[in-house]
Amino acid sequence: MNKLWIDERYCKGCLICIDACPTKAIRPSEKLNSKGYRLPIEENMALCKACEICVLMCPDFAIAVSEE
Amino acid sequence: MKHPMLKYMKETGPCGDRLPTILCPGCGAGQVLNYTLHAVDQIIKEDKIAKERFLFISGIGCSSRLTTHYLNFDSAWTLHGRAPAVATGALLANPEFKIILFTGDGDVGAIGGNHFIHVCRRNLDMTILCMNNALYGMTGGQVAPTTPRGDYTTTTPYGNVENSFVLCKLAEVAGASYVARWTTAHPQQAIRSIKHGIRKKGTSFIEILSQCPVHAKKSAVEILRSYKTKTVKAKNAEKGDNRIPIGEFLDIEQPEWFESFQKIIDSFASEERKDQNE
Repeated sequence: MNKLWIDERYCKGCLICIDACPTKAIRPSEKLNSKGYRLPIEENMALCKACEICVLMCPDFAIAVSEE
Repeated sequence: MKHPMLKYMKETGPCGDRLPTILCPGCGAGQVLNYTLHAVDQIIKEDKIAKERFLFISGIGCSSRLTTHYLNFDSAWTLHGRAPAVATGALLANPEFKIILFTGDGDVGAIGGNHFIHVCRRNLDMTILCMNNALYGMTGGQVAPTTPRGDYTTTTPYGNVENSFVLCKLAEVAGASYVARWTTAHPQQAIRSIKHGIRKKGTSFIEILSQCPVHAKKSAVEILRSYKTKTVKAKNAEKGDNRIPIGEFLDIEQPEWFESFQKIIDSFASEERKDQNE
């Protein structure tokens, strides 16, 4: 299964990655982080095809996907 | 594991951490930086160009914070609107540079309009990336020359009554070699255009419509979705279509400034050689 990585220091919770994801493998978290942002978390990583559109569209360089 | 483009960025500096960026959540400028770094990364890998040959120059504004603050490339943060002038100087000192300019619509369309049209007229070898959010974001969302007619900003609460500047058409008539317009919702197309612009000899002007969620008072996702419906490919656009045309508008070959000058220098050198032989 592909692995998702979110940098909690850099992410500002704009949720562009979740809207851009074509297979909806990620979703916003219920819990807020220390800055009050809703970070993206894994919904079902079995759906992830590692197309890296989230990596491409992230304005804050906070997301990465590794293929396995 | 981390974002693949972080290898081109300075994460820490002498005054502590540089990232996260100062940009607001969902800002289009961060996305344009991401697209540009992807394009530069592909060029470095495909053309085997040294990283040192790239030079990033910017003026003042949200978009112009992207160069010296975060990039691990040679870069300069210059006067408001004067990025094309500084780039001209850098190019004269070293014509081998691949220069990329980060500018905003206020930077290139308002205060630096004169510098911009004359760089296009001279057809100097540089790539101008304009992040157009149709208002002055950094100073509080005032009306800009690129604000569409009827749009609401903090200084036009009853709607803008002025015509808006079409920067792509301005670059076209000023004499640029490559002109394109995309939005932040078109990442692959924007990367392809930026790559083509960097490789192109002569001035390339690429306008990228980027969202300002704070002053538009909408979420970034909502604006990105609206970019998909509000725009139309320029070749598919019909007469009377109110949507914004996007795509490549101009891609021509014309003599570049340095090549033209080199020809004159070479012609004198050959005459001198003739004189010596006689």
